[in-house]
Amino acid sequence: MSDTKLASRLRRERWLKLSAFLAIHSLALVLLFTIDNLLVSFVLAFVINYLLAPLVSYVERKRIPRHIAILIPFVTSGLIIGLAIYLVLPLVTAQITSLEAQLPIYQRDLLALIGRIEMRIKGLFNLHEFNVAQNVNTWLIAKTGELSTLLPSIISQSLTVALLAPFLAYFMLQDGRSVSRSLLAMVPNNLFELALNLHHQINEQMGGFIRARFLEAAIVGLVVWAGLAIIGFPYAPLLSIFAALMNLIPYVGPILGAVPAVLIALISEDGAIYSSMSLNLFVLTSVFFIAQLIDVLFIIPFVVARIVNLHPVTVILVIIIGAQLMGILGMVISIPVASVLKLTLTAVYNHLLEFRS
Amino acid sequence: MNILWDNIFRKAKKENDIRTVLKENALFHDLSDRELSFVQDIVHVRRYHSGEAVFRQGEVGVGMYIIVKGRVEIYVTDPTAAEDAFRDIYITQLLEGDFFGELSLVEENGRRTASAVARDETTLIGFFKPDLMEILERSPSAGVKIIFRLAEVLGRRLKETTDKVSDLRKTLKEMREPPPMTPYE
Repeated sequence: MSDTKLASRLRRERWLKLSAFLAIHSLALVLLFTIDNLLVSFVLAFVINYLLAPLVSYVERKRIPRHIAILIPFVTSGLIIGLAIYLVLPLVTAQITSLEAQLPIYQRDLLALIGRIEMRIKGLFNLHEFNVAQNVNTWLIAKTGELSTLLPSIISQSLTVALLAPFLAYFMLQDGRSVSRSLLAMVPNNLFELALNLHHQINEQMGGFIRARFLEAAIVGLVVWAGLAIIGFPYAPLLSIFAALMNLIPYVGPILGAVPAVLIALISEDGAIYSSMSLNLFVLTSVFFIAQLIDVLFIIPFVVARIVNLHPVTVILVIIIGAQLMGILGMVISIPVASVLKLTLTAVYNHLLEFRS
Repeated sequence: MNILWDNIFRKAKKENDIRTVLKENALFHDLSDRELSFVQDIVHVRRYHSGEAVFRQGEVGVGMYIIVKGRVEIYVTDPTAAEDAFRDIYITQLLEGDFFGELSLVEENGRRTASAVARDETTLIGFFKPDLMEILERSPSAGVKIIFRLAEVLGRRLKETTDKVSDLRKTLKEMREPPPMTPYE
């Protein structure tokens, strides 16, 4: 075959393979974004997959077949979660019931607080007539009404996700590697080594990122729980779970995690553990500050060092875009997604510079 | 023949299926049947047309290839050559069962020192660094066997290169110093 004929045949085949590869990925993306609950379940399944993968490999190293090696951490973590729910649920239910009973009081006190601040501002600056307290009250009533209407669908969606995510995660652990291999087989020869290396790097980075982030959140949650329990602040378990979950959001998360506790301290008598409001706030914020200090000084350098470095401004922008597109979930997944994009673009750029130099 | 590329582990093949090729390859020779099946599920089978490049000199290499079917020719490009016709220097031809590019398995962003081009319709087994990492993670005993064999292969390559360099130095020395003249009788 002449060189020109071969070149044209290779070009045609490469485009065909690349198009098929991209078409499959695009179709998967369309399905993820159009089918209800699939995206959330898929993201959660990815998280479970990355959290359990090292355990599965550990069990597999004991010469246990992979399908059983997957079942062992699944069943074990299922039992641990079940036991935790069994032990914590009565506590959390009692706290929610108590919170529910206290909510009208909190609402009244919050409005009174806003009213007081409003009066002060008016006194200071002699501004136009505006009624923030009234507006907040209307907004709170509207939102509470919306929540009660949406609650059945939220519960049904959560149940679907709770069932679908572990199911998908099991198959990701069982067949994920062979699916990746089949997809990589579609990559043209000239891009194969690059694609394989890129896939490996992304996998490593994502795994490291997710495991480190969850470990970090768990440690921060435990520190907050211990701190709140020591100072005798109400709703310590609920507030620490919230702080741990919020800690998954970089930069903004730690502040958001402290907001409910600070609000309770400001407006509720339960939150007044000391007679002076400023001392009360100082002790409470110290708990969150110490948790963040431990996070920054010990957890991040030793646990989260593998996270892809993104500039703080990029992080804030990415979180805002994530929040705009997908709400809270968008905020949580925006950073890993941005890290993957950065990694992919850097690798492709390096490929253009180095692979072909 | 270039000693860096010439296959020092060539063996006669009876069957050219993937498993047999893997079993007879120096790197996987010590693996048990179970370990071999495990490796077989991990490696990548790639097909090339005659004249298609497997990789080019200067590209970042991620792993090695074993020839299942067909032939592969190795070239080194000399960018200082005056004419295009003399730019690609033919080094050697590799046949079924031979392997090449194994140095990339242990190098960090190592670049290919030569180009490999398929002759005939060629089937290759690709075995790359991420695959080796996966084997080490999931079956360390198999991984250690492969790494030990890889070290042996690289050691032999190094020894042969050192011998060749010594020979060349000796020849060079002899060329610089002409033999002592015999006394005129």
